[in-house]
Amino acid sequence: MMETGARRDPLILTRNLTRIYTVGGSSVAGINAVDLVIAPAELVVLKGNSGSGKSTLLSLLAGLDRPTSGDLLVAGHDLGNRRATDLTDFRRNVVGMVFQSFNLLPTLTVLENVLLPALLAARPAEPARRKAEELLDWLGLKSRREHFPAQLSGGEMQRTAIARALINDPALILADEPTGNLDSRNGRLVMDLLAELNRRSGCTVLIATHSDLADALATRRLFLSDGALREDACDA
Amino acid sequence: MRRLNFFVRVFVWFSVRNLTRHPGRALIVVLGIALGAAVFTSVRISVHASLDAFNRSMAHVAGAAEQVAVQPGGYVSETAIPILAHHPAVSRFSPVLTTYVRPARSPADAFFLIGIDPILDRAFRQWQLDQGYGARGQIPWADLIAEPYTLILSQPLAAELGVAAGGRVELDHNRGTHAFRVLATLNPGGLALVEGGRVAITDIATYQEFTGLLGGVDRIDLIFRPNTTAQQIDHLASALPESLEMNPPSAARDSGNAMIRAYQLNLSVLSFISLFVGMFLVYSLVALNAAARRRELAVMRALGASPGMLFRLFLAEGALLGLAGWLVAIPLSGLMVNYLVRVVSRTISTLFVRVQPESLALSAWEVLFSFGATLFVSVMAAYQPARAAMGVAPKEAMEIGQRMPQGRYTARRLVLPAMGCIAACAPLSLMRGIAGIPIPGYLAILLLFVGFSLLAPWMLQGLGRLLAPGLRRVAGIPAYLAGCYLRSSGTRISVSVGALITAVALFASLVIMIHSFRRTVELWVAQTVSGDLFVTTKMGEINRYRFPIPEEIVAGLQRLAPEADVVESRRYQLRYEGFPYELEVLGMRTFLRHGGFVWLKGDPETILPRLERGDGALVSEVFSNRTGLTVGDRLHAQIEYSRVVLPVLGVVRDYRTDGGIVFYSWHRFRELFHDPGWSGVRFYFQNRGPDVDDQVVRLRNEIAQRYGDRLDMVSGKALRQSILEIFDETFAVTTILLFIALVVAALGITTTLSILVLERTRQLNTIAAVGGSEAQIRGIILWEAAYLVTVGEIAGLVCGFVLSYLLVYVINRQSFGWTFLYTVDWGALAYSLPLIGLTALGAAIPAVRSVLRQPPATLLRER
Repeated sequence: MMETGARRDPLILTRNLTRIYTVGGSSVAGINAVDLVIAPAELVVLKGNSGSGKSTLLSLLAGLDRPTSGDLLVAGHDLGNRRATDLTDFRRNVVGMVFQSFNLLPTLTVLENVLLPALLAARPAEPARRKAEELLDWLGLKSRREHFPAQLSGGEMQRTAIARALINDPALILADEPTGNLDSRNGRLVMDLLAELNRRSGCTVLIATHSDLADALATRRLFLSDGALREDACDA
Repeated sequence: MRRLNFFVRVFVWFSVRNLTRHPGRALIVVLGIALGAAVFTSVRISVHASLDAFNRSMAHVAGAAEQVAVQPGGYVSETAIPILAHHPAVSRFSPVLTTYVRPARSPADAFFLIGIDPILDRAFRQWQLDQGYGARGQIPWADLIAEPYTLILSQPLAAELGVAAGGRVELDHNRGTHAFRVLATLNPGGLALVEGGRVAITDIATYQEFTGLLGGVDRIDLIFRPNTTAQQIDHLASALPESLEMNPPSAARDSGNAMIRAYQLNLSVLSFISLFVGMFLVYSLVALNAAARRRELAVMRALGASPGMLFRLFLAEGALLGLAGWLVAIPLSGLMVNYLVRVVSRTISTLFVRVQPESLALSAWEVLFSFGATLFVSVMAAYQPARAAMGVAPKEAMEIGQRMPQGRYTARRLVLPAMGCIAACAPLSLMRGIAGIPIPGYLAILLLFVGFSLLAPWMLQGLGRLLAPGLRRVAGIPAYLAGCYLRSSGTRISVSVGALITAVALFASLVIMIHSFRRTVELWVAQTVSGDLFVTTKMGEINRYRFPIPEEIVAGLQRLAPEADVVESRRYQLRYEGFPYELEVLGMRTFLRHGGFVWLKGDPETILPRLERGDGALVSEVFSNRTGLTVGDRLHAQIEYSRVVLPVLGVVRDYRTDGGIVFYSWHRFRELFHDPGWSGVRFYFQNRGPDVDDQVVRLRNEIAQRYGDRLDMVSGKALRQSILEIFDETFAVTTILLFIALVVAALGITTTLSILVLERTRQLNTIAAVGGSEAQIRGIILWEAAYLVTVGEIAGLVCGFVLSYLLVYVINRQSFGWTFLYTVDWGALAYSLPLIGLTALGAAIPAVRSVLRQPPATLLRER
């Protein structure tokens, strides 16, 4: 079992976490018997080759998918046995997601995209709006708040996505290849932002990536290979 | 050939396989197109069957005649026969009489009886007796001449009446009932096919004695000698009595055709609407494929496909959907056509001319036309998406991430052409029809639909912008997100709105038109078809009142009911420059005391006294529109032996469907010209208390006791009721066509929303990933449907009002010559539009259910 921060309650705790997909009549293990403990305020980099199970693990941690077997606790929520409505509440209040393809809604402005999770969670509109504006200010997007995603650069889109992930003050940020669609300068900027928010707000950040950009920023580095997890020594 | 093979192979790989990967979507589109094509095809086949039956019947009756001598409004005296017989231009002549008779004491319908001279007629018309008759060594035509009250029946008619050669059948006509001996039956062919085979032939002398038309015939058919010149024919015409006219035998057929064709055209256009609505479905699916497969298109381009090839692939996709729809439409048409033939032929028989379509003539042209129309609309629907596919650049294959919609700008660009289309309706609606067909009017309707459909994206975006912020507070985030999506949506989402606009506009306009029409007809019936009891010659209506009531009965009727006012009338069937109309001379003074007219032109205050005096006539709107005669003009007519000139005093509304009508004073007609006799009479009881129905029954019984069954009688109430029932029946087909257009529009909503859900799987999953619940996401789709339906209904209603004006004042005027008093059935609109809205919202359910079919986790697997 990969453990750190043993003195504090872990934010993420998995035991024998397994997800098996059925594809064309045959079973394929996305991840297999993964044991993982991540403490609050860690910045963890998850690496692995394509098809190693990084996305499967992230989708389970995000409450987007359910495990086939094993235990899965995130911020005290047992995600293995939750109803769909509970998982929705979990996504609203506990995690923020950052995707490789940004996944901004093209029909919403930058500000509206950032506000969206707060509105979906029925948070009071005015405080949420102030928070969104603060985040956009922090991320250097103040002048772009009324723009639509089509009018942004890749880096701006990803920064908008980060703001969206932060709007509900999540305990956990899950970033799936956040620099995959960015050039190296913007990639570095995004990684720095994730590290900064980890430092500033103390939220846990888990980054699944092929890139080495986050290596120096991470408190831990994990490797997934054929659905199994191993820890690498951290230089940081 | 090699290139074609290659194209077909790529088409199968690229397009057909993609369609089969999503069979549900393709099936809905095919079903929509099939419904439209089936309606269009079966309506055309049905009307064609009636038209064909009518034309064949008329052709068999006309036979080989080259010209026909007739007496307008009356009968040709047999004294004209020697003139014709001895004229050097005439090779053959044949006097002919036709009427409808009814089997006595039988529920069987009336049938057609032709009176001819069997010897003279052989050169004109073909008819053959069954073989059994000749085998007995008899000479059929000789027996027909030699033995009074004999006739020959067509085989289907003999079977229907249950008689065979040698049997007897009793027939009713205006002078009573008489028994006929059946000499033989006719082999199918020639005259035996007239009126769908419900025909009998008798000798002319028997006919005249039976009907009382001694010395007169309906017409004399002529065949000229070879090389007869126009001058010789003119000479023949001048040798005949002045009151006779020489007409081509096709005159009656042509006017019948003109009336049926106007009906056919309007029904075809109405049925085409379903196909037009189906066009939106094809557009919707092809446009989705073009947009959703943009990356594949870019890869194709990168691999060497030309823009033209992509264009052809998408056009072919539209064509394939059209072809599949048309193939599915064939069995659907088979189901619809039997019903439609029955309803359409009944409507044509009731309104215009009697038709008996005995079999469905599957015209190759109609099949080809329906195929061509279906394919054309499908390919046209695919044209714009195919053009968009052409524009995909190969470099897009290298791009990562999503292409954002540019809908806002496209929608704004469409506003100007949309307004142009709508504005063009005004000048088009003022233009006259071409060859009696309201082509500019139809074009205006098409432009109206196109204009409002082009406005749909802009309206949808406007509504999204306008309502989304407010709805967020009232209805929550799903309503807001739906509005945000629509305000930035492209034209594709508006396509189903275009379909709904078209269907709702059609619905609203037809509701208004039919309501206006009915209210006006009710007014007309109450005014002009007033009276407590109508009495006519026996079988007067079916025989177009050609046989006057015998004089001894007229004298009796005048004395019969001192407590009732009597309005006598005589109707003449005439033509004005080829246009058929009826001159009704009636006891104007008494009529105006009880009834009246629905005025259109002229001041009733000043005209009524003049009308009573017989200073002039009133003409119907139809007559005025068709002939161009209006207030101040003079109508010239030959009526029996009188040359009549009548100043036109006013124009009134009238809804007789077999031509125009002219009203004139009976008494003045008799003073100025000749005694017209009575073809009918109506009674008005002076004491109009609650027992007026009893008075009617008493009078009917008294007339029946005195004159037996020599007269037909109907109470005014029943007559007016039957007119309104016929009216309602006439629009039964319209209602069905309308319903199908609405179904196709609902399918459009289903298709568009299902497509939007599939297309936005990633977006909807993102919403789920950032905290959206399943209910919220379903709510978004439902709200999108609500926006679509709201715009569809509002725009459809506005479009419908404009369309109703076009229908009432342009299409009806140019097609049938009449207009109506414009009234809106607010009640029907108020309860039906919400129902349509709910149905359209119901059509969104499959799309709502399909939400989140793919788990949100796919977001992380799809790069």
